[in-house]
Amino acid sequence: MPTPVVTLRGVKKRFASFQALAGVTLDIRAGEIFALLGPNGAGKTTLISIVAGLLRASEGEVRVLGHDVVSEYRFTRRAVGLVPQEINFDPFFTVEESLRIQAGYFDVKLSEPRLVELLEALDLTQKRTANTRALSGGMKRRLLIGKALVHDPKVLFLDEPTAGVDVELRQALWRYVRVLRDRGTTIVLTTHYLEEAEELADRIGVIDRGRLLVVDDKDALMRRHAGKTLRATLAAPIGALPPELAAVGARLEANGLALAVDAAPGASFGLALAAFARSGLRVQDVETRRMRLEDVFVSLLRGGGGEQGAAAAPRETP
Amino acid sequence: MNSVGLRTLLDKEVRRFLRVPGQTLLSPLVTTTLYFVVFGFSLGSRLRDVEGVPYARFIVPGLVTLGVISNAYLNTASSLFVMKLQGTIVDLLVSPLSYGQVLAGFVGAAVLRGMLVGVVMWSVAGVFTGFELAHPLMALLILLLVATAFGALGFVTAVWANSFEQVNFFPTFIITPLTFLGGVFYSARMLTPALRRFTLVNPVFYMVDGVRYGMLGLSDAHPAVGLGLVAALAALSLGVAYAMLRTGYKLRG
Repeated sequence: MPTPVVTLRGVKKRFASFQALAGVTLDIRAGEIFALLGPNGAGKTTLISIVAGLLRASEGEVRVLGHDVVSEYRFTRRAVGLVPQEINFDPFFTVEESLRIQAGYFDVKLSEPRLVELLEALDLTQKRTANTRALSGGMKRRLLIGKALVHDPKVLFLDEPTAGVDVELRQALWRYVRVLRDRGTTIVLTTHYLEEAEELADRIGVIDRGRLLVVDDKDALMRRHAGKTLRATLAAPIGALPPELAAVGARLEANGLALAVDAAPGASFGLALAAFARSGLRVQDVETRRMRLEDVFVSLLRGGGGEQGAAAAPRETP
Repeated sequence: MNSVGLRTLLDKEVRRFLRVPGQTLLSPLVTTTLYFVVFGFSLGSRLRDVEGVPYARFIVPGLVTLGVISNAYLNTASSLFVMKLQGTIVDLLVSPLSYGQVLAGFVGAAVLRGMLVGVVMWSVAGVFTGFELAHPLMALLILLLVATAFGALGFVTAVWANSFEQVNFFPTFIITPLTFLGGVFYSARMLTPALRRFTLVNPVFYMVDGVRYGMLGLSDAHPAVGLGLVAALAALSLGVAYAMLRTGYKLRG
């Protein structure tokens, strides 16, 4: 297995009495898009801030391309690009100047072709000489992405990259993220939009209260955790659930006109369908629905780690 | 060695203050001219010479030192604190610039602004009182050290401060009183013994005195005292600023 681009081992971070990270162990693989999901305050931003050098871990070890982010920070920071969650801009400078300054910090003289490429990719060509104050919110966010890319990082951290961004721009950013991945850049993104993770990610990590609940390939995660629901609409309302359906875990909806049965990940509806047949109920329509990532996410958070329970150690599927 | 990085930071900081010349260069010029007109000519015309030097000329070194101190301090303090407020400090913190380079970039720009203001003020004053310098290298050396010391102090304050009020605390309650009571407008020999003792424990007095020796060739204390004191202050403030960067104090959580 190739050396991970980023490795975290037992990383803890405390802010006074608040434990933001409670021992995170994680490998980010080269060339993947890794989505880190979690509710507000789960520790997503803290985690990527530690890798990027914005914060220092209280305990544990963080390496980028095998180099320690504290003792070898000058190496690791050249390998990392960070798009922060909060929009920032320096009103003293134009778009071009901002990109050139950021490149300079990384000891890079931004060539004209590279500048043009970035401006075109981020649809900022028309704003090249505009003061950053004059940019819209979406443009400022794109400029942040440009600044994170000026030194051609091996791994790009996107902290809520599409927060507050309209649908069109969001999709354009997704396309560009894929282009970067295809060029070999490893992408780590945190997002509240689970649709974004479902659309982009190769692997997903779910974090809550500073603990990684699960890390898995997206498809495996869905297979492992995404159950399905069968919903049957009845021809006539009933007052109580027949015992054979109650035995397979069916539930009667409030109007008495529909029944729903859940199947665990990998399980079938065979028993439920047999129970329907035995009950003699007249079924008018049937629909099945597979859980989406959003449902999996909620179920993992409720279960504190899904199948593995609240006390489960962070798990990584090979 | 990330030489492009240091030059970029220095260049950016210099461009920043040059883009608001009214605030960074013209404002101290106007303030100094007013001091000069009020204290040097209006009141000064009623005062006799101080140690054989016309009063208007006597106050020039102190005013130049005051300008260098204020502008060097404000350059780093305001630039870094605004970066913290705007969030653009992130751009710097994720970069591979070394701690020394970050410090050199900020303090270097502060020294440039302080010296630029000092030269402008000295030139304006020179039109009225003459351009002779008794010991130009001594004056230049002390002013460079003063700018370095207060540029680094501005850095320390900006890192420590959580509000503009805290940024302004140092110049309002420490620098300005120490400067005004540090012999800008008078010689220590003119004071009563009690006030003289008070003045002699003020470090800014020795800086002003050293610059006055460099410009006019006269001083209350030995000029080496001012030189040594300001060199020590520069080393101390640079050391504290470097330690803040190295430990990440209030910068890296």
